[in-house]
Amino acid sequence: MELALQVFREFLTPQNVALSAIGVVSGIVVGAVPGLSVTMATALLVSMTYAWDTKPALAMMLGVYAGGVYGGSRSAILINIPGTPAAVATGFDGYPLAQQGESGMVIGVATVQSFIGGILGLTALVVAGPLISEFALKFAPRDYFLLVAMGLSLVSRLGAKSMPRALVAASGGVLVGLVGMDPVTGEGRFTFGLPLLIGGVHFIAVLIGLFGLSEVFYQLGRIGRGTAPQIQIPEVGRILPSWASVLRFLPLSLRTSVIGVMVGALPGTGGEIAALLAYDHAKRTVRKPTRPFGQGAIEGVVAPETANNAAIGGALIPMLTLGIPGDAVTAVLIGALFIHGLRPGPLLMVEMPDLFWFIAGSYAMANVFLLIFGLMAVRPFVKLVNVNKKILMPMIALISVVGTYAIQNNIYDVFWMIGFGVLGYFMKLGDYPVGPMVLGVILGPLADINFRRAIISVRGNVPAFLGELFTNPISLILTIMLLAAFIPKLPEGGILGWLRRLLRLGKREGA
Amino acid sequence: MHATTAHRLVRMFLVPALVIALAWGVAISPSGAQVYPERSITGIIQWGAGGTTDRVSRRITPLAERGLGQRIVLSNMTGATGAVGMQYVFDQRADGYTLLYAAENPTLYGVLDISPRNFDEFEPVSLMARSIPVVVVRSDSKLRYLTELIHLAKQQPGQVKAGSTGIGGVPFVVGAMMTAVSGVKFNPIPFDGDGPAIPALLGGHIDFHVSVLAAVAEHMRAGRMRALAVIDNVPSDVAPGVPALGQMMPEYRPYLPWGPFFGVWVKKGTPAPAIRRLVDSFRPAVAAEDTREFLDLIGAVPMNMAGDEAVRWVKNWQSVTAWLLHDAKATQKSPEVFGIPRPRR
Repeated sequence: MELALQVFREFLTPQNVALSAIGVVSGIVVGAVPGLSVTMATALLVSMTYAWDTKPALAMMLGVYAGGVYGGSRSAILINIPGTPAAVATGFDGYPLAQQGESGMVIGVATVQSFIGGILGLTALVVAGPLISEFALKFAPRDYFLLVAMGLSLVSRLGAKSMPRALVAASGGVLVGLVGMDPVTGEGRFTFGLPLLIGGVHFIAVLIGLFGLSEVFYQLGRIGRGTAPQIQIPEVGRILPSWASVLRFLPLSLRTSVIGVMVGALPGTGGEIAALLAYDHAKRTVRKPTRPFGQGAIEGVVAPETANNAAIGGALIPMLTLGIPGDAVTAVLIGALFIHGLRPGPLLMVEMPDLFWFIAGSYAMANVFLLIFGLMAVRPFVKLVNVNKKILMPMIALISVVGTYAIQNNIYDVFWMIGFGVLGYFMKLGDYPVGPMVLGVILGPLADINFRRAIISVRGNVPAFLGELFTNPISLILTIMLLAAFIPKLPEGGILGWLRRLLRLGKREGA
Repeated sequence: MHATTAHRLVRMFLVPALVIALAWGVAISPSGAQVYPERSITGIIQWGAGGTTDRVSRRITPLAERGLGQRIVLSNMTGATGAVGMQYVFDQRADGYTLLYAAENPTLYGVLDISPRNFDEFEPVSLMARSIPVVVVRSDSKLRYLTELIHLAKQQPGQVKAGSTGIGGVPFVVGAMMTAVSGVKFNPIPFDGDGPAIPALLGGHIDFHVSVLAAVAEHMRAGRMRALAVIDNVPSDVAPGVPALGQMMPEYRPYLPWGPFFGVWVKKGTPAPAIRRLVDSFRPAVAAEDTREFLDLIGAVPMNMAGDEAVRWVKNWQSVTAWLLHDAKATQKSPEVFGIPRPRR
């Protein structure tokens, strides 16, 4: 602890503090622009900071990391285009709230809750890092499969009015996600022999097309008919949530932060799954949300925003305790440590405890800046949405194209994005939700590869696979949770309720 | 009054005219036109940020910039096992202003039917370094020697769980070597890369894994993993006390040294002086003490090859690997189609 204090003192140099602040601001911008990813920004910083000392470089990168994960919520709330996959769930209730003129308040809540999630994630890292990483290692491929399957099973219920339509959208997404080279055999799947399709469709291109460009088409169509309602957001209103409201949501924040830390600590799963599971958790456990979920429940913003920021602390756990990346950004950070001549691995914490504390300190500092800047720069953002749609929509279209091209400097991604923009437009016309489709694209391939890993591990022996689901403690708990996801919240909703209504409907028609 | 006007006229016309003339003179002077590089260079890395290709490239490039006197702006262009980035460089002009930072993968684009591009269409600027693969188990594994692993796999064919990172990946090719020489078969569990495969080994979900030394050296040092052999002819300083496959079992020697390599290429047709300039800038960069320390750290071996030497290395590597994959029935097209000769035994 003495060492911690010493490191904190070392951290508090004007230079490090300034770099952390710059990092957070650029992170928020990068996160808010769809297509610009935190991973990319961090990678860019690696080459920019190559000649720097390690610690200032790390201070800045952690700032970008924290700011970026948070920034994704901005565009999700204001224009219903998640800046990052981890912010998809935030839009389910954040956007309806903004539509009701509460954007200032939602952004305030998202900021404070991101801060809370970040600090709780940090606490988990500092207090129980090694313990959590050992636990995460125990997750077998089948457990990952169960986790992802849980995520997939939730998709149909999230922020959608009609379950069958959500299911159709999600299944379509899964199919799109499976296009490309088979991860096991290397054969092309759904490629129709076209070399173009071998690389698959990048999920960010799908996300930008379905959320961004489709909205542009939709809105422009309405402007053309002269019926475009200009949403007038009357006042930004109160931004900083009251203590009472923070305290009111605190039990939920704590629970969803735990989800965030655990999912974040698992190598290969990150903020997007954490936010999704947290959102569903809120939906199942909160008895009286401020408004119904999907129509502007504040809890529906609190849960994913705490979880995706807590997932950063989670992802830092395997990175610092074992030298294993918890997500794509920590993979880049590990690369950065190597480039700076350090040896990220299980001994890093033992041999260089000061570095551990420095990273923890930088991340704490980044969270403070996140809170400050997040609450400061709300008004200009909200005003942006008040810009005339005839100007705003072409701007979004431009950002969509540029952002998509920026994913991997690949023009075909832009074509895909436009294609999915058209598809999303027709989905909107037909009242099909786009969120489940995006999540299907992300989760489908994860479910596929983890299931195949699991089944190949038992040499294709299905009884053995099923047996393991009930004999291994972790698998058992996840299996129970997965099955529980199919039990509806009575008296309505869920598959059973739907079936029941369907039967009733059938009976009436029969009679 | 008159004088002032004349003065003003001079300032208005003569001075700019002089400046333009001077600039023109510099621009058209023969020395000015011939100097490469006269502007910044683009470097396309065919693999993602944080990977070994990326790390090696980003570490060595700033040193090469010193020799060139120009910036090399690096960006990652991933997709299709690196073919997207390679295609991009291929589509640019052969003027030395677009470099391709690649790993070994393009040698197999043909036989794996990934892309029509191959290294024959490029000139090597520098083969910077190669990684050494190593066979690792969890430290509480019963297996102590590679011979025990091979024995176990013979007793239980297709049952020993091996980490795999896809066709053509390090575990796949080393596995194919073991099939070719020792006649053993494993149960390969697919992972997206070392990233998820290493936690799976640490968690006991696979029995062994073949990875580059860089990815596992720290786990070995921490006593969480044990190496059974390095896939090379000689032991490595980074893995002290670990026997070399080529010394333990000489029958593997024809395949060794084998491992991923990282280098810089330009499109064929690039003017010879530009290539020479690049080669001369990268050679000291790779040889630098700073680079050696870094490569040591990530368990890689400096190669520092250019020209014919580099071409020979790549050809040999290609013929060894392509035929290993072909014999393991993992290729889409026979190496013969591409005129890749079977390696001499």
